[in-house]
Formats: sequence, structure tokens, C-alpha cells
Amino acid sequence: MAKLTRRRLLCATAPLAAAPLGVKLALGGQAEAAGHDHEAHRATAGHVETAASGHAAMIGEGAPAVGGPNDLDALLYPPDPRPHRPGRVREYTLVAHDVELEIAPGVFFPAWTYNGTVPGPVIRATEDDLLRVRFVNAGAHPHTIHFHGIHPTNMDGVFEIVGPGDELTYEFPARPAGFHVYHCHATPLKKHIHKGLYGAFVIDPKEPREPARELVMVMNGYDTDGDGENNFYTVNGRTFYYARYPIRARKGELVRIYLANLTEFDLINSFHLHADFFRYQPTGTGEHWEYTDTVMQCQGQRGVLELRFAHAGTFMFHAHQSEFTELGWMGYFRVEE
Amino acid sequence: MEARTAAGEVGWRLWALVPILLLALAVAAVVSQGDRVVDLVGGAPPPADELDVRRVELRQGEIRVLVRNPQREDVTIASVTVDDAIVPFSLDGPATLGRLRSSTVVVPYDWVPDEPLSIGVTTSTGIQTVHDVPAAVLTPEPGARGFLGYLLIGLLVGVVPVALGLLWLPSLRRAGSAWLAAFMALTAGLLTFLGVEALFEALELQAGLPPSLGGPGLVLLGVAASALGMTFLSMRLTKGRVGASGLALALLVAIGIGVHNLGEGLAIGTSFATGELQLGAFLVIGFMVHNVTEGLAIAAPATRARVTLVRLAALALIAGAPAILGTWVGAYATNDVLTPLFFALAAGAALQVVVEVGRYVARTAPGGLRSGWAVGGYLAGIAAMWATGLLTG
Repeated sequence: MAKLTRRRLLCATAPLAAAPLGVKLALGGQAEAAGHDHEAHRATAGHVETAASGHAAMIGEGAPAVGGPNDLDALLYPPDPRPHRPGRVREYTLVAHDVELEIAPGVFFPAWTYNGTVPGPVIRATEDDLLRVRFVNAGAHPHTIHFHGIHPTNMDGVFEIVGPGDELTYEFPARPAGFHVYHCHATPLKKHIHKGLYGAFVIDPKEPREPARELVMVMNGYDTDGDGENNFYTVNGRTFYYARYPIRARKGELVRIYLANLTEFDLINSFHLHADFFRYQPTGTGEHWEYTDTVMQCQGQRGVLELRFAHAGTFMFHAHQSEFTELGWMGYFRVEE
Repeated sequence: MEARTAAGEVGWRLWALVPILLLALAVAAVVSQGDRVVDLVGGAPPPADELDVRRVELRQGEIRVLVRNPQREDVTIASVTVDDAIVPFSLDGPATLGRLRSSTVVVPYDWVPDEPLSIGVTTSTGIQTVHDVPAAVLTPEPGARGFLGYLLIGLLVGVVPVALGLLWLPSLRRAGSAWLAAFMALTAGLLTFLGVEALFEALELQAGLPPSLGGPGLVLLGVAASALGMTFLSMRLTKGRVGASGLALALLVAIGIGVHNLGEGLAIGTSFATGELQLGAFLVIGFMVHNVTEGLAIAAPATRARVTLVRLAALALIAGAPAILGTWVGAYATNDVLTPLFFALAAGAALQVVVEVGRYVARTAPGGLRSGWAVGGYLAGIAAMWATGLLTG
């Protein structure tokens, strides 16, 4: 019995299938039974939703997140800003490692990392600081670091490929002020980025921003089965991490979020905050601020969000692409009085 | 002298064990050093880490997915998605599955009736196995109502048409020997069609099984076992003579058709229960028309025999009732191995009966197998099955 062929035929002839004869008795009964079951199913749907599935289950212990409460602090909280002092040297060391990272409970991704995490460490400088970033390639493939910003082209991390076991020190003045990203630019580019070689790069302006509770969020995705589509989406590298361990804040205090998108394969990613609004400065530069609750970024785009929570409570934030949300890119702020 | 012969016998029997012992040694050597040998020719690729989805059951507010590890290496279930959304799940069985071990993934989920569902099971290495349900329908749970429904369906597609076909018996009795030979050849044609259809079905279904379970070998085993089993039965029925005839031949034909209908019932039950088949009235009618010809096939060899009504009813049940059993098993049990095996059995049985019927035609047809009656009847049988088969897709 070729079931598919038969199914196809049946679909095509379904309108003809007005049941005649005695067949009607037997099959009519079946159809009715099925109808009843569906009704009953719909009636209980609401109960099921709250009992076991949906977002309600994705909070606290119910959220499928890896690790302990402070694991990602180094990625979430940037180094403190420093006052403007031209020519000051800021030194960082980034080491490329190949690491198996647990990105969702029980799911391991063979990542290429800067310093063992995806995203890599937050690099921060004040405008006109001299950045000196020593890059050591301890991975199995050639890599680079390509910083966004204004710098000599031989410091651009494109032409000087650093082979396994080699190292290179990038040195350039931090310009312009804003929020930028860095990532590997070895080819194949898509592979080197989606494997995890990227991170956040903050350049503070001469005139310091108002003191705030500062947070860094790098949106990303993981294609774990190599089909060119992401299987998991996260902010700062682990699915549902901030649903399990909500980010704490106080009502009324200034919260500043440095938000960047380094999601490979998908055209855009987005950030949506529930129950409040924020102002958004694209790329962290210029005077233009947008007042909104949803921003969209293509790959490599980034910006600065500022808000003061008007209420205490639990505020959900997530990609406003529902698919990304339900594949891991969702969390909560827990705002206290 | 005698003692020496006996000792010699024992010696030769012991010698027969030597290859087995040496094989065991060789196996042990490969187990301990085999990887080094493989390294000489290159690195082995990582395991596929894909799972077999054996059965998906949709209950009220719940999805149950039975998965199996088809590969040698262990597989660990880590994450589950429904329609590209990570969902909470529990496991009825182990999370880490050894070779050919199965586990049931239980997902509380408010699925939407009649809409497609895509279920993904992701292993610890991030490999996702996706199973698509074409249309979500409530999976029937065993109950009096469902049993009765499948009984009626089985009766309608199996027993009723065969019984109707048997009613051609009085007409056949008035036919001359040439016409009778033609009808017998027609029977052979029908059975050839069923045999080939079952064989292809078996091969197609086994292709969906992991290589470690199925393979064409499973089909060959089924075909050989049933063909030889039918030969044995035929010898018993004819008390050792080669060539069954009359009621014995009718019984063989009925059994061959019965095994086929069992496989067909299984396939219908499974496809319907898993939402892959719209079991509408049109399909039931198609099967009825298709299977009426099976009744004719049983009636033809019984033409010259004296048959009571009870025996005719028994023949109809042997040929048709397995469809009922098949739909029950198909609807309520996991039968991914059973279905190809039964189709293989059906193929072997049908093709063996073709041989029996062929012998009979060769003996009885005026002009033997090469007569126009025999050739025409045979082709007409295949054509009839093909034409009525169009009704069932």
C-alpha cells in the first residue's frame, strides 16, 4: 500500500467523498467521534497553557538555561568607564581558543572563542585612549580581530592573518566614541563569525555619559547542526539565561544597555522591552535618540538604550521575532523599589 | 576400529570449532587495536547523531514521540522543539540511548487540530532530528468505540468484498474448462500483482528502518520464510503430492491473500492513526472494489470442488479478516518493523501461490500454460488489479 500516493489521491478527490451506502454509518460514527474529541481538546487548552507550557514555564527553574547565577557577569557588566585622558594606554589580551560550550542544557557547541566565551570579553576604552590589544591564536585555525572604528588599515584585522600559534598586537587610538563591535575577519567569514569570534567594544565619549547601571547585551545564534540556519538564539551566549537569572535593577535608576547584533544567517535581530519604553541611540553616536520599546538591528549593527523603569516588577525582554524568542532569546529584568 | 572412527568423528567436530575460536581471537584483536588500523587510512567521521522517530501520538494537551537511536554510538536527548520553539519536556525512558534503544519524549503542548506540526529532537551535539506531522489529529487510544470502528473498516475493506467475490462461484461452475482455466490464470495474475505490490511496499518500508534493523535482508527473510512455509502447507494439504487443487488450492490462495490483507490493514491503521491518511469513504470504496477481485481468485480453484457454505465463509474470513487485525495493531501499536515484515511475508506467500496456481493451470488448461486462455486470463488478472487499484491511489 503506497500510503503517500493514496493520501495524495484522497486529497484530490476529497470533495467526491460524500459517503454513500452503509459505509456512511460506520465512517460517519468515526468522524463524529473525532469531532467530539477536538471540542474537548479546545475546551481544556487554556488550562494546559498555564499548567505546563508557554512562557510561564520559562521562568526561574523552569527556564532551560545553563549554569549558575553569576556565570555571565563578566559579559553583562562592562568595565567601569574612565575619564577622558588622551594618549593613555589601554591594554587587553585576547586569546583564541577552541572550546566546547554548553549553550543550552545538555547541548554542546564546538565554538571558536576569544578568551573562552561567546561572545568574547567586553573591550572598553575612552575616546583618544591608545588601545593595545595583544591577540594570541591558540586555536586550530587562522584568525584575526577586526575592530569597528577609525584606525590605520594595517590594524584592521583583515590582511594580517594570525596563524595557529602566532600572535599579533593591534594598536590604535580609540575612535570614534560610541558602541562598536569586534570580530574575526578570516575566511570563510560566515564560519569564523558564527563559531563565536565576536564581542562588544565600548568607546566612551570625552564628555562622560551620566552614571548608570550599565549592561552589555550581544545577540547571537547557534547553528548546531550545520544546515545554515540557527537552532538556538541567545543574548550573551546561553539560551534563556536571564529568564532563569533575571537582571536586577532599581525603579527609577538610570539603566543603560549596550546592545549589539552578531547573529549570523538571519538578516536581523531585535530587542523588545515589555511594560516600559526606552530611548535608543543608534551606534551610540550622534544626537538622535528614538523613543520606543522595540529596536531592530542587522548583523553588526548596535546602539545604546537608556531607560528608568517606571514600576517595580518583572519585565520581560526578548527578540520581537517570536521564533528567536522561543528558541532561547528571552529574559527578564527584576526591578525592585 | 569402531572406537577410532568415533574418536575421529569427535576430532572433526572439534576441528569445526577452530575457525570460530580464531574468529573470536581476531575480533578481540580488532576491538583492542582496531582504531589504530582505521587511523592508517584516515579519520572516521563523527557519528550522525540523528534519531529515528518511530511514532508520534497526539493526546489532549500532550505530544508523545517515540524515538530510537539507530547508530552504534550513544545518543543523548538534550532539547525538544515544537514548530521551532523550545518546549519543556520529560522523558519516559532514558535520556542517553544505546544502540537501537528507544525512549518516549513527552511534551505538554496545546496543539492545533488539523494543522501541521513539526517536532524537533536535538541531541547533546546539537544535531536536530525533525519530524513533520502533516495534520495534527487526536491519536486514537484503545477503546471499545475505536475497536468497533476499525472492526467495521476491516470488515468493509477485507471480509465483505472477498465474500462478495466468492458469490461468483455458481457462475464459475457453469463455465467450460477453457473459461475456467482462464479464470485460474486470472487468479495467478491477481496474485502476481499482489505479490509484486507487497514486495515493493516491503522494500520501501524497510528503507525507512535503521540499517542495523532492516535492510533488504529482512525482506528476503520474510519472503523466503513465507514461500517455504506455504510450500510446506501445500504438501501437507495434498498429503505429499506435488500440485494442490480444489479446496486445498483455494485455501492456499485465501491464506496468501489473508497475509497481504494483514499488511494492508497495518498500513491503513498506522497511516490513519498518525494523521497521514484521510480514511474517507472514497478510499474504503476503492479498497472494496479492489478486493472483490480477491474473492474471485479464491472462488476459481474451488469451482470443481464440493464446498459447503460454512467452508466458503471460512475462506472469506481467512482472506479478509486479517485486515481487521491489521488495522487494530496498526492503530494502537508501534509497528515500524512489523509492517515491512508482514508485507514481505505477503509477497512470499502470494508468489508461492502463483506457482501453485500455475501448476494447476498447466495441468488443466486445454493447451496448457501457453494457450490463449491462460495467457489472456493472466494478463486480465493483472490488468484488473491495476485498474481497480487506481481507486485506492
